[in-house]
Amino acid sequence: MSTLPLDPLLLAIATPLAVAVAILLGLPKRHSIKLAYVGFAVPALVGLWCWANFPADLGAKYAFFSRYSTGLDGLGITLALGLNGVALPMFVLAGLVGFAAGVYAIQSNAERLKIYLMLLLVMQAGLMGVFASVDVFFFYFFHELALIPTFIMVGVWGGRDRGYAAMKMTIYLTAGAMLSLLGLIAIYVKSGGGGQTFDLIMLREALAADPIGVATQKHIFGLLLFGFGILVSLWPFHTWAPLGYGAAPSSAAMLHAGVLKKFGLYGLIQIALPLLPEGAKDWARVLAWLSLGNVLVVGFIAIAQRDLKQMLGYSSVMHMGYAFLGLACFSVLGVGGVVLLMVAHGLSVALLFLLATSIQQRTHTLDLTEMGGLAQKAPVLAAFFVAATFASIGLPGLANFWGELTIFVALWHFSPGFAAAAVAGVVISAVYGLRSVAAVFFGPPTEALQKVAATHPPGDLTWREKIPALVLLAALLFVGFWPQSLSRPLQSTLTASFRMLDAPRLAAGR
Amino acid sequence: MTPVQQALLVLLLPLASAAIIALFLRRAGALAAVVSVAACAGLAAVALMLVFGGARNFPASWEWLRLGDFSLSIGIKFDDLAALMLAIVAVVGLCVHVFSLGYMHDDGAKARFFGGLSIFMFSMLGIVFADNLFMIFIFWELVGFSSYLLINHYHERQSAADAAKKAFIVNRVGDFGFLLGIVMCYWLNGTVNLTTLAEHHVFSSAVPLLLFCGAVGKSAQLPLQVWLPDAMEGPTPVSALIHAATMVAAGIYMLCRIEPLMTPSALTVIMWTGTATALYAALCAITQRDIKKVLAYSTLSQLGYMVAAFGLGSLTVRHEVGGAAPEMAVAAGVGAAMFHLTTHAFFKALMFLGSGSVIYGCHHEQDIFKMGGLKSKMPLTFATFTIGVLAIIGMPYVAAGFFSKDAILHLAMEKNTAVFALLAFTAVLTSFYMVRLWILVFLGAPRSDEASHAHEGGLSMTLPLVLLAVLSVVGGYTAIYGHVFDGVWSLIPHAEGVSVLIVSLAVMTAGAGTAFVVYRPAGFDALEQKAPGLFGALVALKESFDLVYNYYVKKIQQRFAMLLNFLEQIGLAGLVIRGGSGLVGLLGLGARALHVGNLHAYVYWFLLGAALLWAYAAGVF
Repeated sequence: MSTLPLDPLLLAIATPLAVAVAILLGLPKRHSIKLAYVGFAVPALVGLWCWANFPADLGAKYAFFSRYSTGLDGLGITLALGLNGVALPMFVLAGLVGFAAGVYAIQSNAERLKIYLMLLLVMQAGLMGVFASVDVFFFYFFHELALIPTFIMVGVWGGRDRGYAAMKMTIYLTAGAMLSLLGLIAIYVKSGGGGQTFDLIMLREALAADPIGVATQKHIFGLLLFGFGILVSLWPFHTWAPLGYGAAPSSAAMLHAGVLKKFGLYGLIQIALPLLPEGAKDWARVLAWLSLGNVLVVGFIAIAQRDLKQMLGYSSVMHMGYAFLGLACFSVLGVGGVVLLMVAHGLSVALLFLLATSIQQRTHTLDLTEMGGLAQKAPVLAAFFVAATFASIGLPGLANFWGELTIFVALWHFSPGFAAAAVAGVVISAVYGLRSVAAVFFGPPTEALQKVAATHPPGDLTWREKIPALVLLAALLFVGFWPQSLSRPLQSTLTASFRMLDAPRLAAGR
Repeated sequence: MTPVQQALLVLLLPLASAAIIALFLRRAGALAAVVSVAACAGLAAVALMLVFGGARNFPASWEWLRLGDFSLSIGIKFDDLAALMLAIVAVVGLCVHVFSLGYMHDDGAKARFFGGLSIFMFSMLGIVFADNLFMIFIFWELVGFSSYLLINHYHERQSAADAAKKAFIVNRVGDFGFLLGIVMCYWLNGTVNLTTLAEHHVFSSAVPLLLFCGAVGKSAQLPLQVWLPDAMEGPTPVSALIHAATMVAAGIYMLCRIEPLMTPSALTVIMWTGTATALYAALCAITQRDIKKVLAYSTLSQLGYMVAAFGLGSLTVRHEVGGAAPEMAVAAGVGAAMFHLTTHAFFKALMFLGSGSVIYGCHHEQDIFKMGGLKSKMPLTFATFTIGVLAIIGMPYVAAGFFSKDAILHLAMEKNTAVFALLAFTAVLTSFYMVRLWILVFLGAPRSDEASHAHEGGLSMTLPLVLLAVLSVVGGYTAIYGHVFDGVWSLIPHAEGVSVLIVSLAVMTAGAGTAFVVYRPAGFDALEQKAPGLFGALVALKESFDLVYNYYVKKIQQRFAMLLNFLEQIGLAGLVIRGGSGLVGLLGLGARALHVGNLHAYVYWFLLGAALLWAYAAGVF
């Protein structure tokens, strides 16, 4: 199947890592930048190539599969790389957002740009690795590889409150990672039977034949749920997110909010649901109630924000509530919807953070009450921001709609009451989304803004800002108009290898 | 071309136009206008070929998404109902596009405007063609988006920005119910395909009522009517196309689409909602000073008429076929509502474009008390607008509105006397405020510099007026359409005898007569002077909804949000987390005592840990 001479997945992981190492070894700045373009472009291109060449009927198998010995084979640890229908969308997402974040970082001309780019490249390599890993050990390892640069970038290149934000993020995310590590080790220990392994394929087979006891499943799932949940900002463990994203430099925020944050949801889908189905069913109600906290409580909090990036941070937390609700449905439709939503949300939130920084550079503030009328000076920026906002509030034609719609449909089968509460969130997100758009771009400019504009006349988006924005918007539109491009691989994998998920039955058939 | 190809061409032409404008013609406004108008002309031509070609119910459906057992399709249901709606959208759309060439000639953001019109046409046609509820919902949201874009056209004005936001959010409130209704319908029936549902569905009042919420938002029925008057901030051609003739009528079209799902109790709710809206909006229209606001409230009122007509439901009629006269139920509500939708689309688009012509002629003056005397300054606008007025007040046999309004009144008379009385009273009010508008704008002497220098617009603006005026006259005679819409026209209830005719003549004369008595062409509101109490009450009635909603948004919603934010900052992030971190800090102090900086001590700790781990793994505890 693979016509590349190299293993494409390894290539996507190794290229940014190699570039990072080269920069670290003292490559001059000019060459570093050129090489960094390569480091960001290769994963994106590999992602798109994998998408285009993805086999139609994969079933329970993995595409582009390969296995490398690590010397720890005796412990059941091998570097197994491959993509199934759940991993593919995330892999493509990581490639695209990484490319956009990288290009945006290069044009940002940050201080100590080389180190900044190096950290981003390491993060990028980690992200590609997370979604390409079929081995739980490396899945976790790559996550840590991507996570640590985030803390450094927030702490060093961050904005207001960066010290506190970096510390809070580190504590929360490390705690989440530790809890989930505990859960993963517990699975490793309890999988027993024919020799312990971290290989997900073997784990699935072993546990399908000899499942973990129901009581133990519940404990382990609880660990994973809260561990991964903290990483995805499950209410009430979300307060790190708005603060962290508010302070993070834009490229780090794009990569973390857009991609890395989804690690927790991805882990729940790929590992926890198939290996611990009884545990998942047991926790579904609790999860659903907490998710409503994300959707309704955090949704209202987003309305109260005055700071644009804080608002985006809260809105991102809110949308994670939909994803958790989709998981709680425990059906192919719900889980498929979660993956669609993860991709869509990743693209749209990355675009929003990118544009928010571009806005900040023009208004010299993020305070929504001190802006206004920017559309007159920067119509293209306004158009992009309007499009990204409408994507995030679920307008059809943009990817997010499909994720939300499928989750809502699945949710009705879980519980009509929860479905109604979740759909109410659609109104809330319209309120804060459109309010921020209007505050930034429409109406007459405020006095504060006019003063800034007098000394620094704001221009429209430059091409170097436009290119990453266009990549993200094009992807949103492509999936928005052509949802099958993602739902087909999802359907194939979910129906074949996620048999424990309910097939929702129609009432009419009863 | 096969009918399917024709339909796809109709749907995709405006999308292509929007894409081309967005990608390449952002700075080339003149070219963008040409592209958009050409696309609209092309789609109108193909659409009329499709409508009058007679092809109906051809199969066309494509699966768009499948996950688990859930599948969502994009498909076309093209029956007489869709054909009628398509013809209306295409013809009125073309008129408005051409009119915009003149009206928006000097606008600085023409490309954005015409791009928006094209997106709107695409979205609206999607609703028309849709063969299932999910597809309706998709395009339903898209028309809301295009409406947002176009209301927001003069975005540097705070009022326009606010109006656009309000329109979208209020519509979202309606869509909340709509989407839940669709999802419920899916789980109840296993399908949302309109044809399949018509054949077989589970009896439930919740589904039609939830779906009706969507129509309440989009067609601006009580209590979600507040966005439509504000939406007049958009350019006048937009008001004509979107906020009078087509998009706001989509709610009624959608109701007619789901008519088989209706239950008696759902119909009753719909009937009263429509009747209340019709009456309320007509009362509001009386006090308005802005020419577009009068027309906006009038649109609300007429939409209420249509919704009420739909809610009145089916009628039992005798069909005399070869001596036997079996009784059968006919969906008369659908017939009456769609008939009125058709004539209203023509005469209301005509009046809005006429008001656009007036506003353009008076250099963007919109206050009717500052107009006057335009009869001689703008004769063509005067003549066509007069036809519009005659149509809406229901001048017998002269103009289209008479027939459709009669059908509704007749149906109401048969079904529900209270509704009939209220609708008849609404008709009095309609005739009153329309004649008031007509007197103040066109008669007497000009009352401002703008009005005295008024002039007729170019050919691109007068031609659509003439075309719509012709349609407003002949559009009520269903015979002129041939037999292509018989599926809808056969449902129209026809009054026998003259009782309804007498009633409509009486209400029209009463309203118009009162207006002639009360109003002279003058620079002040005569009603306000003659009956200040009544006038004040009407103003208060109009403002009551906005007051309540503003109170909710500012005082309840915002404060609730601030409260939650406060709790989060202080309670969660402050006390729990900081308190927690303080606790951890104490533990850390204790732990630090263990870190004595002695390598040997660390080795012992390490060995102790390893031993514990081993003991655990070995199952000691």
